[in-house]
Amino acid sequence: MNSQASGAVPEPSFEPATLRPHFAILNRELAWLDNAATTQRPEAVLKAMAQFYRRHNANPRRSVHRLGAEATTAYERARLAVAQFIGARSADEVVFTAGTTAALNLVAAGMARWEIGPGDEIWVSAAEHHSNWVPWQQVARAMNAALRVIPLLPDGRLDVAAFRKRLAARRTKWVAVTWVSNVLGAVNDVAEICAAAHAAGARVVVDGAQGVAHLPTNVAQMDCDFFAFSGHKMYGPFGIGVLWGRQEWLTQMEPLIFGGEMISRVDERSAQWAEVPARFEGGTPNAAGAVGLAAAIEWLRGLPAAAHAHVNQLAREAAEQLAALPGVQVWGPREGRVALVSFSVDRVHAHDVAQVLDDRGVAVRAGHLCAQPLLRRLGTPSVVRASFAPYNTRDEVARLVAGVRAAQELFT
Amino acid sequence: MNGIYQEKLLAHARAPAGAGTIPPGTEDAEVFNSACGDEIRVKLTWTPEGALAGLTHETHGCAVCQAAASLAVPRLVGKTAAEIAGLAAAFYSRLGQSGFEEAWGDFQMFNGLEKYPARLACARLIWQAVERALAPKPGRP
Repeated sequence: MNSQASGAVPEPSFEPATLRPHFAILNRELAWLDNAATTQRPEAVLKAMAQFYRRHNANPRRSVHRLGAEATTAYERARLAVAQFIGARSADEVVFTAGTTAALNLVAAGMARWEIGPGDEIWVSAAEHHSNWVPWQQVARAMNAALRVIPLLPDGRLDVAAFRKRLAARRTKWVAVTWVSNVLGAVNDVAEICAAAHAAGARVVVDGAQGVAHLPTNVAQMDCDFFAFSGHKMYGPFGIGVLWGRQEWLTQMEPLIFGGEMISRVDERSAQWAEVPARFEGGTPNAAGAVGLAAAIEWLRGLPAAAHAHVNQLAREAAEQLAALPGVQVWGPREGRVALVSFSVDRVHAHDVAQVLDDRGVAVRAGHLCAQPLLRRLGTPSVVRASFAPYNTRDEVARLVAGVRAAQELFT
Repeated sequence: MNGIYQEKLLAHARAPAGAGTIPPGTEDAEVFNSACGDEIRVKLTWTPEGALAGLTHETHGCAVCQAAASLAVPRLVGKTAAEIAGLAAAFYSRLGQSGFEEAWGDFQMFNGLEKYPARLACARLIWQAVERALAPKPGRP
């Protein structure tokens, strides 16, 4: 699963300059190193969406006219593209959502909440994003269940052995884990966690938001029960995401959004749901977003393996060069870092580092990165994160490191 | 000049007036910047006449946040709760508009901060902490 991220990385033969013309926004004088927050979109995605609106726009799944049929076809083709992209058995296992957050909330409130009772346990990992933590707090609170935390190894990966040991003979019903940490860039062995959880009779939902753009995604190999990700972190549009679920679980899950298109029959006092996955997509769907996501998948599939090696090489080089600066603490694993590096600078607040970098045309993220419990464990209220995409260059890494040094000089 | 990091701001941030350690549970108020996780805890003491005798803040925040706290302390000490409320309103109405006149002295370093809208919240945080400390608390008259 993490073959691209571990082992000896050969000198990349990939040339990012070949990709930059695909991204008009990169013509601005800016090193975009905030890809883990949102990537930029290639022209292919923008064109596909414009083409949908210009040629095929209609409300999908409910009209007799030809544009309605074309819009429906485009929407359902996008679903099939997603299914193939993540190794799903069928397109019916793919639920379109507004994004990862919406997808995780759907699982928590639509499925887990109905299965969990007083005294049961839910496990999240210490590295979860708030979007895979707070929904589970809410379920635990509502159902009087216990929320437990999978600890981290010193390198930032989940301590699966500790998890397995504590899991035994407990009333664990649900496990929510991230595939790739949005703070540490560590890749978790999700397949191993799934195997341990399943052996204990628990279900697993995986937050794949930081993985799908960088690692080959195969939900069957992971053997998870649910998998969530967003379009906008993988070169697709905002406002579209995916919840993949095993067919047998999706048919048991309750919808959360009630209204048009999610029903098969409505009487005055009751209603029957449409088939899966339509029952989870109440209201007019984001068809153009789905079309854009399909275009992003196609674009991503066209990337050579060397492009992914290049991304991880940039992250590794940035981590090494930053760690070599006196007073800079780099978080996360030394080996197998995927696409990003988070760090802290002694005596300089993360916001100030980010501001100095922005003044020099380098865009990074600073703050708690929506992972306050993890940062508390690290012992810092905020970090700076640089995150990479195939269009980033070694020169941009050099600008990042020079900017951090400038911030140190300014503040010390 | 280096963007928002003028020498005056850096000097305040390096040694903020009123900075101190406040044992957990003894603070009068605690506020967070939800965007970045920054935190300010404040402790206020009052004269028998009802004027602010001392303002201690424990600030975990960026340079803008620290400098704003440093500037607020001498501005607020000696004022009554009502005067502090008035000053807070005056501060908010000037921040983000380049509105600090000469009478505001070093606060003029925040003129132009509107070019960095994400940082306005950093400058507000100390004032929000003080306002929260002044707000009526449940179970207290």
